[in-house]
Amino acid sequence: MNTRRRFVGFLEERLGLDVLLGLARNKLVPIHASTPFYYFGGMAIFLFLVQIGTGILLSLYYKPSPDQAFESVQAIVTEVDFGWLIRSAHSWSANLLVGVLFLHLLTTFMMRAYRRPRELTWMTGIVLLGLFLAFGFSGYLLPWNELAFFATRVGTAIVGVVPVVGKQLLLLARSGEDVTGDTLARFYSLHVVVLPMLTFAVLGVHLFLVQKHGMSVPEKIVADARSKGGLRAMPFLPHFLLRDMVGWYLALAILAALAALFPWELGDKADPFKPAPDNIKPEWYFLFMFQALKVLPAHLGPFEGEVVGVLFFGACGLIVLFAPFLDRGKISRAVLASLAAVAVAFFIAMTSWGWFSGAEQTTLRVILGGIQTVVVLPLLIPFTAPGSNGRKLVYAGLTLAIAVLAVATWWETLG
Amino acid sequence: MKRDSRPTAMLLAVILAAAAMSTLGIPALRGELVAVVQEPEAAQAPAADAPAAADASTAPAEPTDAAANASSQTPPAGGPLPDDYSCLTCHKKGGDLWNETTPTVDESHLTNDVHWKKGLRCHDCHGGSETLESFKNHRDDPDFRSLRVRQDSITFCGHCHSNLDYMRKFSPSARTDQETEYWTSGHGQRLKASAAGENAQADAGVATCISCHGGHGILAVKDVNSPVYPTNVAQTCSKCHSDAKLMEGRTYDGRRLGHDQYEQWTKGVHGVAMLSKGDISAPTCNDCHGNHGALPPSVGSVANACGTCHGKVSKLFAETRMKHKFEVAGMPGCAVCHGTHQTFNPGDSMIGMGDGALCAKCHNPANPQLGATLAGADLAKNIHAKLDELKRNIELAGDKVREAERLGMEVRGSRYDLHQAFDALTNARTLIHTFKPGPVDEAVDEGLKVTASVQESAAAALREHTYRRWWLAGSLVPILIVVGLLVATIRRTPLPESRYDPSHH
Repeated sequence: MNTRRRFVGFLEERLGLDVLLGLARNKLVPIHASTPFYYFGGMAIFLFLVQIGTGILLSLYYKPSPDQAFESVQAIVTEVDFGWLIRSAHSWSANLLVGVLFLHLLTTFMMRAYRRPRELTWMTGIVLLGLFLAFGFSGYLLPWNELAFFATRVGTAIVGVVPVVGKQLLLLARSGEDVTGDTLARFYSLHVVVLPMLTFAVLGVHLFLVQKHGMSVPEKIVADARSKGGLRAMPFLPHFLLRDMVGWYLALAILAALAALFPWELGDKADPFKPAPDNIKPEWYFLFMFQALKVLPAHLGPFEGEVVGVLFFGACGLIVLFAPFLDRGKISRAVLASLAAVAVAFFIAMTSWGWFSGAEQTTLRVILGGIQTVVVLPLLIPFTAPGSNGRKLVYAGLTLAIAVLAVATWWETLG
Repeated sequence: MKRDSRPTAMLLAVILAAAAMSTLGIPALRGELVAVVQEPEAAQAPAADAPAAADASTAPAEPTDAAANASSQTPPAGGPLPDDYSCLTCHKKGGDLWNETTPTVDESHLTNDVHWKKGLRCHDCHGGSETLESFKNHRDDPDFRSLRVRQDSITFCGHCHSNLDYMRKFSPSARTDQETEYWTSGHGQRLKASAAGENAQADAGVATCISCHGGHGILAVKDVNSPVYPTNVAQTCSKCHSDAKLMEGRTYDGRRLGHDQYEQWTKGVHGVAMLSKGDISAPTCNDCHGNHGALPPSVGSVANACGTCHGKVSKLFAETRMKHKFEVAGMPGCAVCHGTHQTFNPGDSMIGMGDGALCAKCHNPANPQLGATLAGADLAKNIHAKLDELKRNIELAGDKVREAERLGMEVRGSRYDLHQAFDALTNARTLIHTFKPGPVDEAVDEGLKVTASVQESAAAALREHTYRRWWLAGSLVPILIVVGLLVATIRRTPLPESRYDPSHH
């Protein structure tokens, strides 16, 4: 015991740990109807840690050159002990992470947690989302397989459509006119050096701001709480952390199940001289943009359809980033809420459209579609009144999606 | 006049003869020849070849170096003919000295001609004066090369194409043996006999250079529109060889020539590969018969002709007793089982003693042919059984690999290895032509080793899949236990009465 105390004292003297411990001990988490939404942030951090761990393990064997990238990933999943699990876990947790981030964004938006003085917390969060999407985009190319190669070619070509600086951005992204080994090296560097450094920095600021301003509480609940002399709360340590950990372990269980039951496919090695396959698809979280740009007509009035599409999504991104400053009154709030509802509907519709067009492995796609529906449908709940027909419809849809998901999963795993 | 590059086969000779007659003022003959010019389809019939009796000297001059000796009137290579080009004065419709009886040259054919594109002009082939100023009547011009009789076309083309010094200027590796080869061909032998007045083989109507390559408007062999481009060769030969009337009574080596070779070839594996699949490496007429020296392969050399492409099979077959027996019996080697022009798509049903098996034709216990034995029949059965065994195992291994792939397992290596089993099967099918059990068994066993290894690795992948599920179940248990413990701890840890004042945050 004495030794332990001496050791803690040694660290305390040098690191000032009790300041951090004091912050954690004094941190309170309010208890109200939307408290479960607070878990999304912690879950995202957990999945990010999984990404770091599995990513480091993959980097021990991965070789970032067009001649060896595919073969090295192939060796990881076939020859390296538990390599299949590490790669699958990395790919699946990346997707779960983006999903959780989307939910974190939406729930934060629904609670209007960006209100003064948390504007910068919101904006750093949006920047983090952008960084994680960049992680996904850059990581998708690394196995150097056919689908990723051509999807990257299409994805970077979209960047080239941006007026004025498009060409320069395209060259910067590809390191040349086309997707080549140079692009692979560039994406690898981005994926394992640049993006992690930026993410750590922005995440640090984000967490500091969350700590500084505490948890945001929806206005209506705040108003009710004033009359009652404050809200009930639980200490972060250990109460909230314990609940957070339940979420992490459940995420781990889901991750393990997905990685074991649905190993992430490797596909065929990219051949730049082959024609692009029919079923080029980006990761699911880019699919809504991809599909929308695909179905846009070549010309919209005097403008090129693609340019209009890219500018539209750019404008949407800016609106999301500056939402705290656009929410200036009742009317603007209503407009933002309506836009958010339309955006969610657009996201679901376009993603599903893109996902199921030309489906081949029907069962797997039904499962993924089911997961997507099950994840996204609950988001409609806050937009419907309790007991209303709308709410009942959402519940019915959710029940149906869960049933379909269960049957499809059973079919795939036991059938 | 109908424009068509193919019927210009006789056009060149006819034009020249008509030009000569026009100069000599022989209206009757001139009119007949112009009529032929105006009906090129008719002019194409080899038997109709009867060049006019132009008596101009045919002493050949040395071929001119077109590039070096280009006259001031020579138009640019490949371009249209200028109006003042001297030959056009007579041979262009509406030219200054043209009249209704003067044969004309199709300008578009001429300028598309490979010779024209290389810079050669009328006088480079036809001789004679190259400018209007130095023009001499074709009959009186010793440099003018006329085509009086059919065999003249061979020497006419051979004038340049047999001259290595001249041809080298256009291509360092140009062939100059076509004329020599031609005289050894079935066509050439008959034409020579005809010229010499020998009756046994004489045939003045056989194909000459222009029959296949055309007259004016000759395209390079590598030009896809050329009548001798690989995909067009069979059709070009068929113009004569599918003409029942033309082939009637014609024989080779005492056998009737027939007229259904093209039809058979289009149905055979080679014709289908060439015409339907666009495989220009598939053999067509000239690949087996030769081109300039075209002759049917003799009974003993059929295997060599096939061996041009099917080298290994041909070598194996050459070492068998069966080849010798076929030769003695006058049977054409490979063609006995595989067909001649309509070569069958080979299948494993051809070997053995079952329905459709070719071995059964001779090794029939009830009626053996050519000294075929019952031991041979047993061997055929065994070979068929071995091939079946390998195919069955390849299928089983393939099914397992596909099953593992369907379950998301990485079995690319096994799938690749399976190709070796297919290679072994192909090798065994080739080795059938030894008609010995040892080599076939060895090849099949090699394939069976591969299929066994692939089946094992695919089975390992399937076991790994099952193991992963157990691993999942095993890992979920501790995770869920931890979750349970956490929930229990949460329940055991009462919430203190803390208040959160949002206005302070």
